[in-house]
Amino acid sequence: MAKKITGFIKLQIPAGKANPSPPVGPALGQKGVNIMEFCKQFNARTQGQEGLIIPVVITVFSDKSFTFILKSPPASVLLIKAAKIEKGSAEPNRNKVGKVSKAQVEEIAKLKAPDLTSNDMEHASSMIAGTARSMGIVVED
Amino acid sequence: MKTYFEYSLSTSPFDADIISSFIWELSPEGIVEEETKLIIYSQTKIENEVSELMVSLINKKVIEDFSLDEDELEEKNWNEEWENNLEIIHVSEKIIIKPSNKDYVKSDDQIVITINPKMSFGTGEHQTTKLCLLALDKYVKKNQKVLDVGSGTGVLAIASVLMGAEKSFAVDNDEWCYENGIENSEINSVKEKVTFIIGEINDCQESDFDLVVANIQRNILLQIKNELKKKLKSDGILILSGLLDIDFDIIKPSYEEIGFQFIEKNQMNEWISISFKLM
Repeated sequence: MAKKITGFIKLQIPAGKANPSPPVGPALGQKGVNIMEFCKQFNARTQGQEGLIIPVVITVFSDKSFTFILKSPPASVLLIKAAKIEKGSAEPNRNKVGKVSKAQVEEIAKLKAPDLTSNDMEHASSMIAGTARSMGIVVED
Repeated sequence: MKTYFEYSLSTSPFDADIISSFIWELSPEGIVEEETKLIIYSQTKIENEVSELMVSLINKKVIEDFSLDEDELEEKNWNEEWENNLEIIHVSEKIIIKPSNKDYVKSDDQIVITINPKMSFGTGEHQTTKLCLLALDKYVKKNQKVLDVGSGTGVLAIASVLMGAEKSFAVDNDEWCYENGIENSEINSVKEKVTFIIGEINDCQESDFDLVVANIQRNILLQIKNELKKKLKSDGILILSGLLDIDFDIIKPSYEEIGFQFIEKNQMNEWISISFKLM
């Protein structure tokens, strides 16, 4: 018989750096999940993605066991990495802080595709390009 | 005891992906996404920074409004609820791990290790701990000296002594693990034979170990391979775990390159342990 799901936990944590401190400790602890086992699995599965923020959705079952799926990093985090800047612009219309190529935008759209509502790659790319513009990052042809 | 700042942030409209993207510019420890809000954790007070950021998002017309609450959170044993449900684990017919609130009547040929994990790794539930314990059972000989790197609860260092090692050393860079390891060595009456060290592998001054075990993760095991080698005596045994099956083709040649001879790989589900001999 399938195990009963008792809840979902959605976290965002840096790749390879899960530890029992907040947010992992309090979020998993109150559901009675083995925090250290989650950290071990998360860190093993995200090694090689160091420097990226990884959203993770944890499914908790009635026997306190769990499974999780890793999502793609937030679009802005990927754009900041691609543009090699530290953060977005506070005044995106007036102050441009970096640039990315159309190819880089398409690459990010491909990576984000499973998590985006759009099934159309062109639409997904335009969503990413819109996010870039709202951060003061110029999308070049 | 560390203190964390917990910020509950809701915005109107609320889009977790977009709002969290901006929050990461403030380098928090992590974020919990809830239905209508984000819970942000930071070791430093960032209330003003979050407010300023949200005001800038209002000005950019990304959001219309926001509310922000700050709370302080003291670090504690978050694992307590899970710990209360810990059961006796039969790693093999010979090796049993139990929490101190459970009784187990052992037979003469069994080794029973009592572990209260708190927030440390190594309860025997995880496949990598089981793989390491089985390898220790195979390779630890009487009167040997064993080093456990990334020791967590200290279960491997304690097990080594219970399996016949003369003494063991356990290194971990986490304060919880250091204190928890000492507690567990006391519970198992091996405190005099297990030395706990807080820090990195080089903080252990001892060398010429007969056996070194490291249940950590691939990238760290690649980084510290030369340090692990320096700790072993010639012909010494190295047991590595914390590895996924896909890590095998990276770890094996990397260790062979510096003079280790591959002995065996063992697997449970997707997790593996690899044993080497230093030539």
